[in-house]
Amino acid sequence: MDFLSFFVKDFIAQLQSPTLAFLIGGMIIAALGSELVIPESICTIIVFMLLTKIGLTGGIAIRNSNLADMVLPALFAVVTGIAVVFIARYTLANLPKVKTVDAIATGGLFGAVSGSTMAAGLTVLEEQGISYEAWAGALYPFMDIPALVTAIVVANIYLNKKKLKESARSAMQESLTKQPVAAGNYPSTRQEYLSQQKDPADNRVKIWPIIEESLRGPALSAMLLGLALGIFTQPESVYKSFYDPAFRGLLSILMLVMGMEAWSRVGELRKVAQWYVVYSVVAPFVHGLIAFGLGMIAHYTMNFSMGGVVILAVIASSSSDISGPPTLRAGIPSANPSAYIGASTAIGTPVAIGLCIPFFIGLAQAIGGL
Amino acid sequence: MAKPANKLVIITEKVLLKKIAKIIDECGAKGYTVMETGGKGSRNVRSSGQPHVAETDSNVKFEILTESREMAEDIADKVALKYFNDYAGIAYICSAEVLYGHSFCGPEGC
Repeated sequence: MDFLSFFVKDFIAQLQSPTLAFLIGGMIIAALGSELVIPESICTIIVFMLLTKIGLTGGIAIRNSNLADMVLPALFAVVTGIAVVFIARYTLANLPKVKTVDAIATGGLFGAVSGSTMAAGLTVLEEQGISYEAWAGALYPFMDIPALVTAIVVANIYLNKKKLKESARSAMQESLTKQPVAAGNYPSTRQEYLSQQKDPADNRVKIWPIIEESLRGPALSAMLLGLALGIFTQPESVYKSFYDPAFRGLLSILMLVMGMEAWSRVGELRKVAQWYVVYSVVAPFVHGLIAFGLGMIAHYTMNFSMGGVVILAVIASSSSDISGPPTLRAGIPSANPSAYIGASTAIGTPVAIGLCIPFFIGLAQAIGGL
Repeated sequence: MAKPANKLVIITEKVLLKKIAKIIDECGAKGYTVMETGGKGSRNVRSSGQPHVAETDSNVKFEILTESREMAEDIADKVALKYFNDYAGIAYICSAEVLYGHSFCGPEGC
Protein backbone atom coordinates (compact mmCIF):
# COMPACT_ATOMS: atom_id res chain seq x y z
CA MET A 1 0.00 0.00 0.00
CA ASP A 2 2.85 2.26 0.91
CA PHE A 3 4.50 1.53 -2.38
CA LEU A 4 1.32 2.16 -4.34
CA SER A 5 0.70 5.53 -2.74
CA PHE A 6 4.33 6.51 -3.31
CA PHE A 7 4.05 5.48 -6.89
CA VAL A 8 0.77 7.31 -7.55
CA LYS A 9 2.10 10.44 -5.90
CA ASP A 10 5.31 10.30 -7.90
CA PHE A 11 3.49 9.56 -11.07
CA ILE A 12 1.23 12.59 -10.76
CA ALA A 13 4.25 14.72 -9.91
CA GLN A 14 5.99 13.33 -12.99
CA LEU A 15 3.09 14.27 -15.23
CA GLN A 16 3.54 17.84 -14.09
CA SER A 17 7.33 17.80 -14.31
CA PRO A 18 8.63 19.75 -17.30
CA THR A 19 10.34 16.67 -18.74
CA LEU A 20 7.21 14.61 -19.30
CA ALA A 21 4.99 17.64 -19.84
CA PHE A 22 7.03 18.69 -22.87
CA LEU A 23 7.11 15.13 -24.18
CA ILE A 24 3.32 14.87 -24.02
CA GLY A 25 2.98 18.41 -25.35
CA GLY A 26 5.07 17.42 -28.36
CA MET A 27 2.88 14.39 -29.00
CA ILE A 28 -0.28 16.48 -28.76
CA ILE A 29 0.82 19.19 -31.17
CA ALA A 30 2.11 16.55 -33.59
CA ALA A 31 -1.25 14.79 -33.36
CA LEU A 32 -3.00 18.06 -34.13
CA GLY A 33 -0.81 18.46 -37.20
CA SER A 34 1.23 21.38 -35.96
CA GLU A 35 3.70 22.90 -38.40
CA LEU A 36 6.20 23.60 -35.65
CA VAL A 37 9.71 22.67 -36.72
CA ILE A 38 12.70 22.61 -34.41
CA PRO A 39 15.76 22.73 -36.66
CA GLU A 40 17.83 19.59 -36.73
CA SER A 41 21.02 21.44 -35.88
CA ILE A 42 19.45 22.62 -32.62
CA CYS A 43 18.75 19.03 -31.61
CA THR A 44 22.33 18.12 -32.44
CA ILE A 45 23.70 20.89 -30.22
CA ILE A 46 21.25 20.01 -27.41
CA VAL A 47 22.34 16.39 -27.42
CA PHE A 48 25.93 17.52 -27.33
CA MET A 49 25.30 19.90 -24.40
CA LEU A 50 23.29 17.43 -22.34
CA LEU A 51 25.82 14.67 -22.67
CA THR A 52 28.79 16.93 -22.16
CA LYS A 53 27.16 18.12 -18.95
CA ILE A 54 26.54 14.56 -17.78
CA GLY A 55 30.14 13.70 -18.70
CA LEU A 56 31.52 16.73 -16.87
CA THR A 57 29.47 15.93 -13.77
CA GLY A 58 30.77 12.39 -13.85
CA GLY A 59 34.35 13.40 -14.54
CA ILE A 60 34.44 15.92 -11.71
CA ALA A 61 32.94 13.30 -9.40
CA ILE A 62 35.34 10.55 -10.44
CA ARG A 63 38.27 12.85 -9.68
CA ASN A 64 37.25 12.91 -6.01
CA SER A 65 35.98 9.37 -5.59
CA ASN A 66 37.08 5.82 -5.34
CA LEU A 67 37.04 4.14 -8.74
CA ALA A 68 36.69 0.71 -7.17
CA ASP A 69 33.10 1.59 -6.24
CA MET A 70 32.28 1.77 -9.90
CA VAL A 71 33.41 -1.71 -10.83
CA LEU A 72 30.39 -3.70 -9.69
CA PRO A 73 27.70 -1.33 -11.04
CA ALA A 74 29.60 -1.12 -14.35
CA LEU A 75 29.76 -4.90 -14.52
CA PHE A 76 26.02 -5.11 -13.85
CA ALA A 77 25.43 -2.54 -16.60
CA VAL A 78 27.32 -4.77 -19.05
CA VAL A 79 25.37 -7.86 -17.94
CA THR A 80 22.04 -6.07 -18.34
CA GLY A 81 22.93 -4.75 -21.79
CA ILE A 82 23.80 -8.22 -23.04
CA ALA A 83 20.83 -9.89 -21.32
CA VAL A 84 18.35 -7.51 -22.97
CA VAL A 85 19.41 -8.63 -26.44
CA PHE A 86 18.99 -12.31 -25.57
CA ILE A 87 15.60 -11.64 -24.00
CA ALA A 88 14.44 -10.11 -27.28
CA ARG A 89 16.03 -12.97 -29.26
CA TYR A 90 14.09 -15.61 -27.34
CA THR A 91 10.79 -13.80 -26.67
CA LEU A 92 10.02 -11.15 -29.28
CA ALA A 93 11.60 -13.14 -32.10
CA ASN A 94 9.32 -16.10 -31.46
CA LEU A 95 6.12 -14.10 -31.70
CA PRO A 96 4.02 -14.38 -34.85
CA LYS A 97 4.78 -12.02 -37.74
CA VAL A 98 8.02 -10.86 -36.13
CA LYS A 99 11.19 -11.42 -38.15
CA THR A 100 14.12 -12.68 -36.09
CA VAL A 101 16.58 -10.06 -37.36
CA ASP A 102 14.13 -7.27 -36.60
CA ALA A 103 13.64 -8.66 -33.10
CA ILE A 104 17.39 -8.82 -32.46
CA ALA A 105 17.83 -5.25 -33.70
CA THR A 106 14.95 -4.13 -31.48
CA GLY A 107 16.62 -5.85 -28.53
CA GLY A 108 19.87 -4.09 -29.32
CA LEU A 109 18.16 -0.71 -29.40
CA PHE A 110 16.30 -1.35 -26.15
CA GLY A 111 19.48 -2.56 -24.52
CA ALA A 112 21.35 0.53 -25.67
CA VAL A 113 20.97 3.67 -23.61
CA SER A 114 19.17 6.90 -24.37
CA GLY A 115 21.10 9.95 -23.23
CA SER A 116 17.91 12.00 -23.04
CA THR A 117 16.08 9.46 -20.88
CA MET A 118 19.06 9.30 -18.58
CA ALA A 119 19.16 13.12 -18.43
CA ALA A 120 15.45 13.14 -17.57
CA GLY A 121 16.02 10.55 -14.82
CA LEU A 122 18.90 12.52 -13.33
CA THR A 123 16.76 15.69 -13.37
CA VAL A 124 13.87 14.01 -11.56
CA LEU A 125 16.21 12.59 -8.92
CA GLU A 126 17.65 16.05 -8.35
CA GLU A 127 14.19 17.62 -8.17
CA GLN A 128 13.20 15.12 -5.53
CA GLY A 129 16.38 15.63 -3.58
CA ILE A 130 17.47 12.00 -3.90
CA SER A 131 21.21 11.64 -3.75
CA TYR A 132 23.10 9.45 -6.18
CA GLU A 133 26.71 8.87 -7.14
CA ALA A 134 27.58 11.66 -9.55
CA TRP A 135 29.53 9.19 -11.68
CA ALA A 136 26.39 7.11 -12.27
CA GLY A 137 25.99 8.81 -15.65
CA ALA A 138 29.29 7.24 -16.65
CA LEU A 139 27.61 3.81 -16.55
CA TYR A 140 26.05 4.74 -19.93
CA PRO A 141 28.73 3.29 -22.23
CA PHE A 142 29.00 0.12 -20.14
CA MET A 143 25.45 -0.81 -21.06
CA ASP A 144 25.21 0.87 -24.46
CA ILE A 145 28.17 -0.65 -26.26
CA PRO A 146 27.76 -4.29 -25.09
CA ALA A 147 24.09 -4.21 -26.12
CA LEU A 148 24.80 -2.92 -29.62
CA VAL A 149 27.76 -5.26 -30.13
CA THR A 150 25.79 -8.28 -28.91
CA ALA A 151 22.83 -7.44 -31.13
CA ILE A 152 24.96 -7.04 -34.23
CA VAL A 153 26.98 -10.19 -33.54
CA VAL A 154 23.91 -12.32 -32.71
CA ALA A 155 22.06 -11.04 -35.80
CA ASN A 156 24.97 -11.76 -38.10
CA ILE A 157 25.52 -15.24 -36.69
CA TYR A 158 21.82 -15.91 -37.27
CA LEU A 159 21.94 -14.50 -40.83
CA ASN A 160 25.06 -16.46 -41.73
CA LYS A 161 23.53 -19.69 -40.47
CA LYS A 162 20.39 -19.00 -42.45
CA LYS A 163 22.40 -18.25 -45.57
CA LEU A 164 24.42 -21.46 -45.22
CA LYS A 165 21.25 -23.48 -44.87
CA GLU A 166 19.72 -21.83 -47.92
CA SER A 167 22.78 -22.30 -50.09
CA ALA A 168 22.97 -25.95 -49.05
CA ARG A 169 19.35 -26.38 -50.04
CA SER A 170 19.75 -24.64 -53.40
CA ALA A 171 22.89 -26.64 -54.14
CA MET A 172 20.92 -29.81 -53.56
CA GLN A 173 18.14 -28.65 -55.84
CA GLU A 174 20.63 -27.73 -58.54
CA SER A 175 22.24 -31.14 -58.46
CA LEU A 176 18.80 -32.74 -58.69
CA THR A 177 17.62 -30.79 -61.71
CA LYS A 178 21.03 -30.82 -63.40
CA GLN A 179 20.23 -28.01 -65.73
CA PRO A 180 23.01 -26.99 -68.06
CA VAL A 181 24.28 -23.63 -66.96
CA ALA A 182 25.41 -21.26 -69.64
CA ALA A 183 28.82 -20.14 -68.58
CA GLY A 184 30.94 -17.21 -69.60
CA ASN A 185 28.15 -15.10 -71.03
CA TYR A 186 28.51 -11.43 -70.47
CA PRO A 187 25.33 -10.24 -68.73
CA SER A 188 23.07 -8.25 -71.01
CA THR A 189 20.90 -6.73 -68.31
CA ARG A 190 21.67 -5.30 -64.92
CA GLN A 191 19.57 -7.98 -63.26
CA GLU A 192 21.74 -10.73 -64.71
CA TYR A 193 24.81 -8.90 -63.60
CA LEU A 194 23.50 -8.64 -60.06
CA SER A 195 22.53 -12.30 -59.83
CA GLN A 196 25.94 -13.36 -61.14
CA GLN A 197 27.76 -11.29 -58.59
CA LYS A 198 25.84 -12.63 -55.62
CA ASP A 199 28.31 -14.92 -53.97
CA PRO A 200 27.55 -16.57 -50.66
CA ALA A 201 30.48 -14.90 -48.97
CA ASP A 202 30.80 -15.58 -45.32
CA ASN A 203 30.62 -12.14 -43.77
CA ARG A 204 32.14 -12.59 -40.37
CA VAL A 205 31.42 -9.83 -37.94
CA LYS A 206 34.31 -7.87 -36.61
CA ILE A 207 33.60 -6.59 -33.13
CA TRP A 208 36.14 -3.80 -32.90
CA PRO A 209 34.66 -1.65 -35.72
CA ILE A 210 31.28 -1.74 -33.97
CA ILE A 211 32.80 -0.55 -30.70
CA GLU A 212 34.74 2.09 -32.59
CA GLU A 213 31.59 3.28 -34.33
CA SER A 214 29.59 3.53 -31.13
CA LEU A 215 32.38 5.42 -29.41
CA ARG A 216 32.49 7.84 -32.33
CA GLY A 217 28.71 8.37 -32.22
CA PRO A 218 27.60 11.90 -31.37
CA ALA A 219 26.15 11.10 -27.94
CA LEU A 220 28.95 8.93 -26.61
CA SER A 221 31.80 11.04 -27.90
CA ALA A 222 30.28 14.14 -26.27
CA MET A 223 29.91 12.28 -22.98
CA LEU A 224 33.41 10.81 -23.06
CA LEU A 225 34.85 14.22 -23.91
CA GLY A 226 33.02 15.74 -20.94
CA LEU A 227 34.23 12.90 -18.75
CA ALA A 228 37.84 13.37 -19.80
CA LEU A 229 37.65 17.15 -19.35
CA GLY A 230 36.10 16.66 -15.93
CA ILE A 231 38.82 14.26 -14.83
CA PHE A 232 41.90 15.95 -16.23
CA THR A 233 41.06 19.65 -16.27
CA GLN A 234 39.28 22.18 -14.07
CA PRO A 235 36.08 22.95 -15.99
CA GLU A 236 34.10 23.99 -12.89
CA SER A 237 33.66 27.63 -13.91
CA VAL A 238 32.18 26.93 -17.34
CA TYR A 239 30.23 24.04 -15.85
CA LYS A 240 28.58 26.26 -13.26
CA SER A 241 27.92 29.22 -15.53
CA PHE A 242 26.85 27.47 -18.72
CA TYR A 243 26.32 23.70 -18.83
CA ASP A 244 24.52 23.25 -15.55
CA PRO A 245 22.01 26.16 -15.78
CA ALA A 246 21.16 25.46 -19.43
CA PHE A 247 20.64 21.74 -18.85
CA ARG A 248 16.95 21.61 -17.96
CA GLY A 249 15.78 24.16 -20.49
CA LEU A 250 17.53 22.35 -23.31
CA LEU A 251 16.21 19.02 -22.08
CA SER A 252 12.66 20.37 -22.35
CA ILE A 253 13.21 21.31 -26.01
CA LEU A 254 14.64 17.88 -26.76
CA MET A 255 11.65 16.26 -25.03
CA LEU A 256 9.30 18.30 -27.22
CA VAL A 257 11.05 17.10 -30.38
CA MET A 258 11.03 13.50 -29.13
CA GLY A 259 7.31 13.73 -28.41
CA MET A 260 6.66 14.98 -31.92
CA GLU A 261 8.83 12.26 -33.40
CA ALA A 262 7.14 9.60 -31.29
CA TRP A 263 3.78 10.57 -32.69
CA SER A 264 4.94 10.61 -36.28
CA ARG A 265 6.37 7.10 -35.85
CA VAL A 266 3.31 5.43 -34.38
CA GLY A 267 1.71 4.93 -37.79
CA GLU A 268 4.87 3.39 -39.16
CA LEU A 269 5.00 0.91 -36.29
CA ARG A 270 1.39 -0.12 -36.81
CA LYS A 271 2.33 -1.37 -40.29
CA VAL A 272 5.02 -3.71 -38.98
CA ALA A 273 3.41 -5.95 -36.35
CA GLN A 274 1.29 -5.34 -33.29
CA TRP A 275 3.57 -7.44 -31.12
CA TYR A 276 6.14 -4.66 -31.16
CA VAL A 277 3.67 -2.49 -29.26
CA VAL A 278 3.34 -5.11 -26.52
CA TYR A 279 7.08 -5.62 -26.39
CA SER A 280 7.92 -1.93 -26.20
CA VAL A 281 5.46 -1.39 -23.33
CA VAL A 282 6.55 -4.42 -21.29
CA ALA A 283 10.28 -4.51 -22.08
CA PRO A 284 11.31 -1.22 -20.38
CA PHE A 285 9.85 -2.49 -17.10
CA VAL A 286 11.41 -5.95 -17.39
CA HIS A 287 14.83 -4.55 -18.31
CA GLY A 288 14.61 -1.94 -15.58
CA LEU A 289 13.66 -4.56 -12.99
CA ILE A 290 16.59 -6.76 -13.95
CA ALA A 291 18.95 -3.82 -13.51
CA PHE A 292 17.16 -2.78 -10.32
CA GLY A 293 17.67 -6.26 -8.86
CA LEU A 294 21.34 -6.28 -9.82
CA GLY A 295 21.69 -2.75 -8.47
CA MET A 296 20.24 -3.90 -5.15
CA ILE A 297 23.04 -6.47 -4.90
CA ALA A 298 25.53 -3.63 -5.33
CA HIS A 299 23.54 -1.62 -2.81
CA TYR A 300 23.90 -4.29 -0.13
CA THR A 301 27.45 -5.34 -0.90
CA MET A 302 29.19 -2.18 -2.07
CA ASN A 303 27.02 0.54 -0.55
CA PHE A 304 25.85 1.70 -3.98
CA SER A 305 23.26 4.41 -3.25
CA MET A 306 19.54 3.86 -3.92
CA GLY A 307 19.64 6.85 -6.27
CA GLY A 308 22.36 5.03 -8.20
CA VAL A 309 20.21 1.90 -8.32
CA VAL A 310 17.39 3.98 -9.82
CA ILE A 311 19.73 5.38 -12.48
CA LEU A 312 20.95 1.90 -13.37
CA ALA A 313 17.30 0.81 -13.72
CA VAL A 314 16.40 3.89 -15.77
CA ILE A 315 19.26 3.47 -18.25
CA ALA A 316 18.30 -0.20 -18.58
CA SER A 317 14.69 0.68 -19.34
CA SER A 318 15.67 3.37 -21.83
CA SER A 319 16.14 2.62 -25.50
CA SER A 320 18.65 4.45 -27.65
CA ASP A 321 17.30 7.12 -29.95
CA ILE A 322 20.28 9.10 -31.18
CA SER A 323 23.40 7.05 -31.70
CA GLY A 324 21.95 3.52 -31.56
CA PRO A 325 19.82 3.61 -34.73
CA PRO A 326 22.59 4.51 -37.21
CA THR A 327 24.92 1.91 -35.67
CA LEU A 328 22.30 -0.83 -36.00
CA ARG A 329 21.33 0.33 -39.48
CA ALA A 330 24.90 -0.15 -40.59
CA GLY A 331 25.51 -3.30 -38.54
CA ILE A 332 22.30 -5.19 -39.40
CA PRO A 333 21.29 -3.75 -42.78
CA SER A 334 18.60 -6.35 -43.44
CA ALA A 335 16.62 -5.50 -40.30
CA ASN A 336 13.66 -3.23 -40.91
CA PRO A 337 14.36 0.19 -39.36
CA SER A 338 10.65 0.95 -39.14
CA ALA A 339 10.33 -1.94 -36.69
CA TYR A 340 13.11 -1.15 -34.26
CA ILE A 341 13.22 2.64 -34.49
CA GLY A 342 9.42 2.75 -34.40
CA ALA A 343 9.23 0.51 -31.33
CA SER A 344 11.87 2.54 -29.55
CA THR A 345 10.92 6.14 -30.37
CA ALA A 346 7.15 5.77 -30.61
CA ILE A 347 6.58 3.72 -27.47
CA GLY A 348 9.74 2.61 -25.70
CA THR A 349 11.08 6.09 -24.93
CA PRO A 350 7.76 7.64 -23.76
CA VAL A 351 7.15 4.58 -21.57
CA ALA A 352 10.65 4.75 -20.12
CA ILE A 353 10.43 8.47 -19.37
CA GLY A 354 6.79 8.70 -18.33
CA LEU A 355 6.23 5.42 -16.51
CA CYS A 356 9.56 3.80 -15.67
CA ILE A 357 11.26 6.78 -14.02
CA PRO A 358 8.47 7.34 -11.45
CA PHE A 359 8.03 3.59 -11.10
CA PHE A 360 11.63 2.96 -10.12
CA ILE A 361 11.81 6.00 -7.87
CA GLY A 362 8.65 4.78 -6.15
CA LEU A 363 10.12 1.30 -5.86
CA ALA A 364 13.35 2.65 -4.40
CA GLN A 365 11.45 4.79 -1.93
CA ALA A 366 9.27 1.89 -0.85
CA ILE A 367 12.24 -0.46 -0.40
CA GLY A 368 14.99 1.85 0.73
CA GLY A 369 12.85 4.34 2.62
CA LEU A 370 14.35 7.36 0.90
CA MET B 1 32.63 23.92 -77.07
CA ALA B 2 31.11 21.51 -74.62
CA LYS B 3 32.56 18.13 -73.76
CA PRO B 4 30.14 15.19 -73.52
CA ALA B 5 30.01 13.40 -70.17
CA ASN B 6 27.80 11.03 -68.21
CA LYS B 7 26.05 12.21 -65.10
CA LEU B 8 25.37 9.42 -62.65
CA VAL B 9 22.88 10.27 -59.92
CA ILE B 10 22.58 8.12 -56.79
CA ILE B 11 19.93 8.95 -54.20
CA THR B 12 20.23 6.92 -51.02
CA GLU B 13 20.40 6.95 -47.23
CA LYS B 14 22.72 9.33 -45.48
CA VAL B 15 24.20 6.54 -43.34
CA LEU B 16 25.86 5.27 -46.53
CA LEU B 17 27.51 8.59 -47.40
CA LYS B 18 31.10 7.69 -46.55
CA LYS B 19 30.87 4.15 -47.90
CA ILE B 20 29.54 5.27 -51.27
CA ALA B 21 32.08 8.08 -51.48
CA LYS B 22 34.75 5.42 -51.05
CA ILE B 23 33.34 3.28 -53.86
CA ILE B 24 33.23 6.32 -56.16
CA ASP B 25 36.85 7.11 -55.41
CA GLU B 26 37.92 3.52 -55.90
CA CYS B 27 36.23 3.39 -59.31
CA GLY B 28 38.38 6.30 -60.40
CA ALA B 29 35.91 9.15 -60.68
CA LYS B 30 37.56 12.52 -60.42
CA GLY B 31 34.95 14.04 -58.13
CA TYR B 32 31.37 14.12 -57.01
CA THR B 33 28.78 16.44 -55.49
CA VAL B 34 26.61 15.49 -52.50
CA MET B 35 23.34 17.13 -51.49
CA GLU B 36 20.92 16.52 -48.66
CA THR B 37 17.53 15.58 -50.06
CA GLY B 38 14.19 14.11 -49.15
CA GLY B 39 11.20 12.72 -50.95
CA LYS B 40 8.93 9.76 -51.38
CA GLY B 41 9.79 6.33 -52.70
CA SER B 42 9.28 2.64 -52.11
CA ARG B 43 10.05 3.14 -48.42
CA ASN B 44 7.52 5.90 -47.90
CA VAL B 45 8.28 9.52 -47.25
CA ARG B 46 11.81 10.00 -46.03
CA SER B 47 13.40 13.06 -44.51
CA SER B 48 10.95 15.63 -45.74
CA GLY B 49 10.37 17.66 -42.67
CA GLN B 50 9.22 15.30 -39.96
CA PRO B 51 10.90 15.99 -36.66
CA HIS B 52 13.69 13.63 -35.81
CA VAL B 53 16.64 13.31 -33.51
CA ALA B 54 18.60 10.60 -35.28
CA GLU B 55 19.92 10.79 -38.80
CA THR B 56 18.72 7.41 -40.00
CA ASP B 57 15.96 9.05 -42.01
CA SER B 58 18.11 11.52 -43.91
CA ASN B 59 18.82 11.08 -47.59
CA VAL B 60 21.65 12.21 -49.79
CA LYS B 61 21.99 12.65 -53.52
CA PHE B 62 25.30 12.04 -55.24
CA GLU B 63 26.04 13.50 -58.66
CA ILE B 64 29.07 12.08 -60.39
CA LEU B 65 30.32 13.19 -63.80
CA THR B 66 32.37 10.63 -65.66
CA GLU B 67 33.90 10.64 -69.12
CA SER B 68 33.17 7.00 -69.82
CA ARG B 69 29.79 5.36 -69.43
CA GLU B 70 31.52 2.20 -68.21
CA MET B 71 32.89 3.92 -65.16
CA ALA B 72 29.47 5.33 -64.26
CA GLU B 73 27.88 1.91 -64.67
CA ASP B 74 30.64 0.31 -62.66
CA ILE B 75 29.96 2.67 -59.74
CA ALA B 76 26.20 2.13 -59.96
CA ASP B 77 26.59 -1.67 -60.08
CA LYS B 78 28.89 -1.78 -57.09
CA VAL B 79 26.65 0.47 -55.02
CA ALA B 80 23.46 -1.33 -55.98
CA LEU B 81 24.90 -4.76 -55.39
CA LYS B 82 26.24 -3.87 -51.99
CA TYR B 83 23.49 -1.72 -50.57
CA PHE B 84 20.24 -1.49 -52.50
CA ASN B 85 18.82 -4.78 -51.18
CA ASP B 86 18.78 -3.44 -47.65
CA TYR B 87 18.78 0.33 -48.02
CA ALA B 88 16.58 2.80 -49.82
CA GLY B 89 18.22 3.86 -53.04
CA ILE B 90 17.97 4.62 -56.74
CA ALA B 91 20.59 5.22 -59.39
CA TYR B 92 20.15 6.72 -62.83
CA ILE B 93 22.33 8.06 -65.57
CA CYS B 94 21.90 11.09 -67.81
CA SER B 95 24.02 12.54 -70.55
CA ALA B 96 25.55 15.88 -69.82
CA GLU B 97 27.77 18.40 -71.53
CA VAL B 98 30.49 19.91 -69.47
CA LEU B 99 31.23 23.55 -70.24
CA TYR B 100 33.77 24.46 -67.59
CA GLY B 101 35.64 22.44 -65.01
CA HIS B 102 39.31 21.89 -64.52
CA SER B 103 39.17 18.15 -64.10
CA PHE B 104 37.28 17.76 -67.35
CA CYS B 105 38.38 20.53 -69.63
CA GLY B 106 41.54 21.97 -68.21
CA PRO B 107 41.92 25.53 -67.06
CA GLU B 108 40.80 27.16 -70.34
CA GLY B 109 37.36 25.54 -70.47
CA CYS B 110 36.07 23.13 -73.10
